[in-house]
Amino acid sequence: MAEIELRSVVKKYGALTVVHDFNLKIEDGEFVVFLGPSGCGKSTTLRMIAGLEDISGGTVRIGNRDVTHLEPKDRNIAMVFQNYALYPHKTIYENMAFGLRLAKLPKQEIEKRVAEAAKMLDLQELLGRKPKQLSGGQMQRVALGRALVRNPDVFLLDEPLSNLDAKLRVRMREEIAALHQRIGTSMIYVTHDQVEAMTMADRIVIMKGGVVQQVGAPLRVYDKPANVFVASFIGSPEMNLFEGRVGGSDAVVQEMRIPLGRNPRLTDGVEITVGFRPEHVQVGEGDLKFTVNLVEQLGVQTLCSGTCNGLFMRIMIERRDDLKKGDVLSFAIPEGKLHLFDKSTGSRIDQADK
Amino acid sequence: MSGKSTIYAFLGVGLLTTLLFVVMPVIFSISLSFYRMESFVGVPEWVGLQNYVSVLSDFEFWRALASGTIYAVLSIVLQLVLGIGLALILNQSFVGRGLVRGVSILPYLLPTVIVVLTFKWMVDGSVGIITELLDSFGLPDVRWFETPSAAMMSNVLVSVWMWTPFVTTCFLAGLQTVPDSLYEAARVDGTNAWQRFIHVTLPMLKPILTVVILLRGIWMFNKFDVIWLMTKGGPLGSTENLAVMSYRRAFAQFDVGGGAAVATLSFLILSFAIFLYFRAFPLETD
Repeated sequence: MAEIELRSVVKKYGALTVVHDFNLKIEDGEFVVFLGPSGCGKSTTLRMIAGLEDISGGTVRIGNRDVTHLEPKDRNIAMVFQNYALYPHKTIYENMAFGLRLAKLPKQEIEKRVAEAAKMLDLQELLGRKPKQLSGGQMQRVALGRALVRNPDVFLLDEPLSNLDAKLRVRMREEIAALHQRIGTSMIYVTHDQVEAMTMADRIVIMKGGVVQQVGAPLRVYDKPANVFVASFIGSPEMNLFEGRVGGSDAVVQEMRIPLGRNPRLTDGVEITVGFRPEHVQVGEGDLKFTVNLVEQLGVQTLCSGTCNGLFMRIMIERRDDLKKGDVLSFAIPEGKLHLFDKSTGSRIDQADK
Repeated sequence: MSGKSTIYAFLGVGLLTTLLFVVMPVIFSISLSFYRMESFVGVPEWVGLQNYVSVLSDFEFWRALASGTIYAVLSIVLQLVLGIGLALILNQSFVGRGLVRGVSILPYLLPTVIVVLTFKWMVDGSVGIITELLDSFGLPDVRWFETPSAAMMSNVLVSVWMWTPFVTTCFLAGLQTVPDSLYEAARVDGTNAWQRFIHVTLPMLKPILTVVILLRGIWMFNKFDVIWLMTKGGPLGSTENLAVMSYRRAFAQFDVGGGAAVATLSFLILSFAIFLYFRAFPLETD
């Protein structure tokens, strides 16, 4: 068990910088998710922590040790790979025991650890099999087991659920979360799936183009996205975002005027990006008119896409069976649910109701 | 053409070719081994197993079997070791890798006779570059073809030179199918480079290795051209293998039946060896 600290970590490939000045302190036992679109540097950062990529600048510390230039095996980490990376010619037992054998642990200790991990992950029946006789979910559990037996300071998981089908993904998500609660070891988990990030993380690190955009608890990131990118990346369906300006006590986007309420003391004419989440609109109130174009029934909720003053947007409301194309709904955006960003920088403009 | 008749048409061509150019010559050759025949004209005389008796009681047959086996084993082992080593090097990234990969396969593309002639020129006593080099380092002359062991080593050397690229190419292709994440997992598990080779590379390439050893085994055991061009089986028959012996008996000693018997025995021995090989290393099927 240990804290992990990254200080000014940089990764360059020649002239190309893929991770810029990454700073993060991960508390002992924390579950941190690196989230971002592909190519954002999240996997590269994880691999630098693992020691699989050289670090071009900065330091990585695990516990009290500077591990920046140590080999993976000397960092006391365990890693779970997207494609499981099980040794195909070794049995499940041998896959899990291999690292311990190389570390020259006594045979009894190896047997004990593998047995414990197998029990925890429900793998006892599979120990004699080869990986190709297992299903995807089972292989992923073996990969977790291989990580578990090492008693690492930190688990590094690189998109571990991407190769599984949707249903299994939900189950494995729960299993990993349960495993984390049970063993209490720090975990760093890389994904591009914001649902995984929201559901599992203590803290999310959102990255784009090798730069950290925001670090925070899932709901904090959802409620107060630090910039336009985070606002659009977190949340499904996506936040409605419009470029406009401040006009009196309203945000003005072309013909549409959204009341800012008791919000900020913003100067008239300031250019802003304004956003609100589809699920936050209140239908049946206010002066804004939404014309339905497409209705998607999700069960509990109804997702509509359409226009307001000619601007495309989505709203998500409680189930309505009667809606059809061309219907007009009046709606309002409750105070505190409106997000304002500086149009030029994209950064959040902090609001009075903080 | 319907699906079925297409299948029969394609199969038919293949079967007919195999029948004409493989099965019939083999049957013809086996049947020849039961006759006394001094040339391909004239009437063969049925002698039953007498050719086999004569061949098997001839010490030259056993010498050729031993010498051919030594030649095959030595050259396969060296081809494998060098070929795998080269493949591992060529799989690294370095400047000019494409060029080096291209050049490294050249010996395999050259006709055997060119390679053998080149080798003979290189070791030529008066103008050979290797002779010159040995001289300039003050090393004694090597008599490349004059003693049995030197002649054997020369044959092996040229064979390794020619066919190592085949092993390299197969292995290099195989190496590129091994997922990087396996090596990374092995690094996290604490392996060093040698352990990664033993625990990841070799087992992952075992199917390729099995086939490569088999193919090279067949080809080296039956090798005729290199030995004939290099030493003609000499000196004093010491480098002669069964293929060369079969040829010599049939076409130089005008004992076609005896030559056919040697060829048939060689075929049986090799078949039995392959049978044992597959028992020991079954090809994995998914």
